Amino acid sequence: MVDRKAVPKPKPKAPPRGARTKAQAPAEQTHETATATATATATATPAGATGQGVQATASTSAQPAADSSKKRKPIPKHGKDEFSALLEPFYYGKALHDPIKTAEDKWNLLPAFLKVKGLVKQHIDSYNHFVDVDLKQIIKSNRFVRSDFDPKFLLEYTDIRVLSPNRQDEDDLDHHKSNITPNECRLRDMTYAAPIVVDIIYTRGNTKVKRTGIRIGRLPIMLRSNKCVLAGKNDREMGVMEECPLDPGGYFITRGQEKVILVQEQLNKNRVIVESAKGIMQASVTSSTHERRTKTYVIQKKGLMFLRHNTLSEEVPIAFVLKALGVHSDKEILLMVAGEDSAYQDNFAINFEACGREGIHTQEKALEYIGHRVRLSKKPLGTSRMRNYHLEAIECLSNIVLPHVPVVGTNFRPKALYVALMARRVLMAMQDPKLVDDRDYVGNKRLELAGQMLSLLFEDHFKRFNHDFKLSIDKVLKKQNRAQEFDAFSHFSVHKNHITLGVERAIATGNWSLKRFKMERAGVTHVLSRLSYISAIGMMTRISSQFEKTRKVSGPRALQPSQFGMLCTSDTPEGEACGLVKNLALMTHITTHDDEDPIRKIVFLLGAEDICLHTGEEIHAEGAYSVCLNGTPLALTDVPKRFLNNFRKLRRMGRISEFTSIYINHDYKEVHIATDEGRICRPMIIVENALSKVTSRYLKALRKGTMDFEDFLHRGLVEYLDVNEENDTNIALSEREINQHTTHLEIAPLTILGAVAGLIPYPHHNQSPRNTYQCAMGKQAIGAIAYNQLSRIDTILYLMVYPQQPMVKTRTIELIKYDKLPAGQNATVAVMSYSGYDIEDALVLNKASVDRGFGRCQVFKKSSTPLKTYANGTSDRINAGALERENKLHNAIGEDGIAQVGARLSQGDAYLLKAVPMDTATNAGAGTYKSMPQSHKLPDHSYVDKVCITENEAGTTLIKLLTRQTRRPELGDKFSSRHGQKGVVGLISPQEDMPFNDQGICPDIIMNPHGFPSRMTVGKMMELLSGKAGVLNGTLEYGTAFGGSKVDDMSDLLLKHGFNYSGKDYLTSGVTGEALQFYVFFGPIYYQKLKHMVQDKMHSRARGPRAILTRQPTEGRARDGGLRLGEMERDCLIAYGASQLLLERLMISSDAHKVDVCEKCGQMGSMGYCTMCESEANIRHLTMPYAAKLLIQELGSMNVKVVIGLEDEFPRPDAEARRR
Amino acid sequence: MSSYNPPSQTAQVQPMISESARSVEYTCGDCDAQVSLKRGEPIRCRSCGHRVLYKQRTNR
Repeated sequence: MVDRKAVPKPKPKAPPRGARTKAQAPAEQTHETATATATATATATPAGATGQGVQATASTSAQPAADSSKKRKPIPKHGKDEFSALLEPFYYGKALHDPIKTAEDKWNLLPAFLKVKGLVKQHIDSYNHFVDVDLKQIIKSNRFVRSDFDPKFLLEYTDIRVLSPNRQDEDDLDHHKSNITPNECRLRDMTYAAPIVVDIIYTRGNTKVKRTGIRIGRLPIMLRSNKCVLAGKNDREMGVMEECPLDPGGYFITRGQEKVILVQEQLNKNRVIVESAKGIMQASVTSSTHERRTKTYVIQKKGLMFLRHNTLSEEVPIAFVLKALGVHSDKEILLMVAGEDSAYQDNFAINFEACGREGIHTQEKALEYIGHRVRLSKKPLGTSRMRNYHLEAIECLSNIVLPHVPVVGTNFRPKALYVALMARRVLMAMQDPKLVDDRDYVGNKRLELAGQMLSLLFEDHFKRFNHDFKLSIDKVLKKQNRAQEFDAFSHFSVHKNHITLGVERAIATGNWSLKRFKMERAGVTHVLSRLSYISAIGMMTRISSQFEKTRKVSGPRALQPSQFGMLCTSDTPEGEACGLVKNLALMTHITTHDDEDPIRKIVFLLGAEDICLHTGEEIHAEGAYSVCLNGTPLALTDVPKRFLNNFRKLRRMGRISEFTSIYINHDYKEVHIATDEGRICRPMIIVENALSKVTSRYLKALRKGTMDFEDFLHRGLVEYLDVNEENDTNIALSEREINQHTTHLEIAPLTILGAVAGLIPYPHHNQSPRNTYQCAMGKQAIGAIAYNQLSRIDTILYLMVYPQQPMVKTRTIELIKYDKLPAGQNATVAVMSYSGYDIEDALVLNKASVDRGFGRCQVFKKSSTPLKTYANGTSDRINAGALERENKLHNAIGEDGIAQVGARLSQGDAYLLKAVPMDTATNAGAGTYKSMPQSHKLPDHSYVDKVCITENEAGTTLIKLLTRQTRRPELGDKFSSRHGQKGVVGLISPQEDMPFNDQGICPDIIMNPHGFPSRMTVGKMMELLSGKAGVLNGTLEYGTAFGGSKVDDMSDLLLKHGFNYSGKDYLTSGVTGEALQFYVFFGPIYYQKLKHMVQDKMHSRARGPRAILTRQPTEGRARDGGLRLGEMERDCLIAYGASQLLLERLMISSDAHKVDVCEKCGQMGSMGYCTMCESEANIRHLTMPYAAKLLIQELGSMNVKVVIGLEDEFPRPDAEARRR
Repeated sequence: MSSYNPPSQTAQVQPMISESARSVEYTCGDCDAQVSLKRGEPIRCRSCGHRVLYKQRTNR
């Protein structure tokens, strides 16, 4: 029995008041932060309990303060920082003393959930599981290393641990506490990794030697995982480490780059999937164990059933397989597959004809039949040509076919039952096509996370490490007589680089290549997008699917009803990856693997009987349900409903892991229990007897902080449901809808959206594609990135100068703390037509607003220069001596040869006087350098913001230079509201010309009303209305999905402040001074500036560089390229007949080339001479595109002769005569 | 914007300056201490051992 909660929790009636420090109310915290001792006496609560708690926190925080005393700022002595009080979930909305209504306040569970689980908890949980559990299991299954030559030699791994992260050069120091921080790794292009150590026992001579703490490699550490230095740190400590407390973590830092292992979506493993295609019905299982991954099929073809597997050279009739698996009589087989059902029996009986035909009536014969068809994986070497077919068949059936169903000893019964089950599924699907499984059903999907990916990778590298170690000791042990006693340890640490480099390379490049499973996957990791805070969060919740994008099936791309609440319904890219890339919803959790054994015991304790003890007749009898554990039949029960209820009761009591799911499948008469990893699940409130278990008392305790989300779980108030179990329940959306059948209650309906879609105010009033567009654009908005944004040196970084939190927020915005790191500004918008420069979604900006800083942003760009060291010992260097004061281009350079901080860099200005050795191969010309000054390439000037000089792990000097540009909005910059309504600036109008209302308020943006009718973004209008009411009332209003401030209330507020209830204002024209003839919808809307700015795109050229090979103009702005006249434009010119223009565009202005062509032989000559004809007589000079000339020559190089035929367009009449 | 200038491959050999170059002041990224470095010296803060140094702002 699992016994997680041995100590009973205190009864809810008497929650320990203020006993736990983290539960302190915010009001008390302000006291507490003063000094620890003072608070102990000052607080009104019982002195004993509180005093203890306070002292405990004080002592824990004193420790980090002591060992980081060298840091710039001393850490304050008190434990909780005042700032985190602001981040407490109940800071928002309501005060402690406000009344609680369950119907409205049950959403409080959502922040509580996110507090324990966090936004990217799935990544971190998965990684923690890998480090704490999976690593130990990998070691356990590969614990022995033996030698081929010395039977006495044995090395055994007894334990494995991952230490705390450190720098590579500190790896050899023992008992050294590293003060490495993730930000240092980013700045120094290092890998944030920790050493992996093992304990080993091995044989040296005749003794056994035990060694502990042996390093075998370094493992990249996921930020915020339990091994990370950021784990359990408060905001202030984070600040000292120059790390943002709002950063979600869940990524790695390799070679200075932030890398995410995206969540991968896969079809579930070890489950039967029934498919039908072209009249073939098949049941297939992808078995996945540590050793193998194979796929087994039971297929129905022309009325006959076969087993198909890659190692079997042909399909084997199902009856033979079952016979070989020890089901002797035909009757037994029939009952096992078809049961008593005569329809199934009739369909299946035909399969026994094969037995008679082939004369296979015994297990022996069946094994021999199968043995003949086993494909040998490795050829038997030399001597034994004779194959033992029986043994091969047994080997194949027990280990290769359906390897996830274990064969213990010689008990093939479970496997036989499994094959029979597959056959039965096929039979049932033949009868009732509804039973064919839906591959796109989310319950049939599993999500693969970082931990699993790393686990596969690490096991592969660990096996190779052991293999290499074995090879190297074998080399020594092979020799019979050794001079000295052999110590295998000397060979042990040699290969540790293989694991380190292997794992690091996989994460840095994203190429997952596993020899064991012949897996070769590219693009597993991605660089974390730091365009904005939202883009980073959006990336962490992204799920990529394994389907190829080119296939034209709509199934995998379509919105699945079963993804309700699990995957965001709005957030998916447009275009080719549409519907294949998904995002997690706000409250999803992805399970990690749980142990099966305790569940197995509980199944039997709950009164189910072992399925192996039953005949097929009993299994398929009326009312009997089989209990399947992770898809494999395990037991049989007559009372499935009671079994299920009891099992759920145990889970709600906390006796079983809360992530175990159980549901009944009435079609197959099965009770399914799942403990496997990668299931998507979400929490839900339990309803019993038409009453929600979460009452206001619990919510009060939650708000007070005496209970957290885990307590709700342990007390059976809330439970996790996965997609399959969700299907087995009746879930009420709100408390009003609860009736006697209801089993669960949603915590908050807004959780069907994800983090990115959660930014949209009133999304339930928008046309759905608009929300999808906003999800794509929210990631491109410029704003604040993180609290440490100015101490980072990113390749490119966009920051808004004056970001504002939105006037109309949503709960999600508060939960993901977008209001702390916003990306946009509240613009006062007038929805009206103005000037004609606002057609096609263009916006008119107020010049005065722009002057005041509306939409102003900064662009930081990095240029990183490593001073390389070459093979002959020479290296790049900075040559400050090359500095010429009179050289204009050297204006920015300082005394050390690097640009001065704060200097202005115009185009062509040098920022680094680098010198490269002339000779990097030999030692001959050492000491001579050629100078290669690095210069500023962009046409617009920028300023040097920061110059960072550092050293990477290899000891190479690294110079990182950060340049800064401050940009104000200009014509053509792209802006968007939060409703998928993007537009470019069409005009920046002086404020004098802008309309104004009777209070003198002038809009920041004028938006054309034609943007509304076809887009149907009612949410945007509601945002304006709520925003305007909020401005007048001095409040921030809510636009939460399926909730938020009501339009009626907002209208009332507007009326109260003397405005029109519909948000329309009377405006005066700024141009004429007359009243506008209409009322204008006028109010604040949150606008985002998108990263697409004219300055980065503006480009033109007259003449310029050409590509070397084709002599055509280069392509792209970066190469100062030409503008292409493409095929379609060419078609227009052809159709129009503008031949001379065509000629000019395609040849004269491009790659015109003069060639000498011999009229006689049609070959190209040179200098007016044809080498083929050896004459100058027939040479004609003509102009042709260089690309055409190149093509002719390239064809010539492939032995294809191209002849140019010349003729006169306007032949002279006398020419004919002359030729004669 | 035809202000394109091709990548300058100025390959003239330049005489290196004397080895006794002046030292330049940097700021430690961790403890804010002043670190004066000469050419070829290891990049490291003298007081705390941190290896990320920043150039100080110019007063020109």
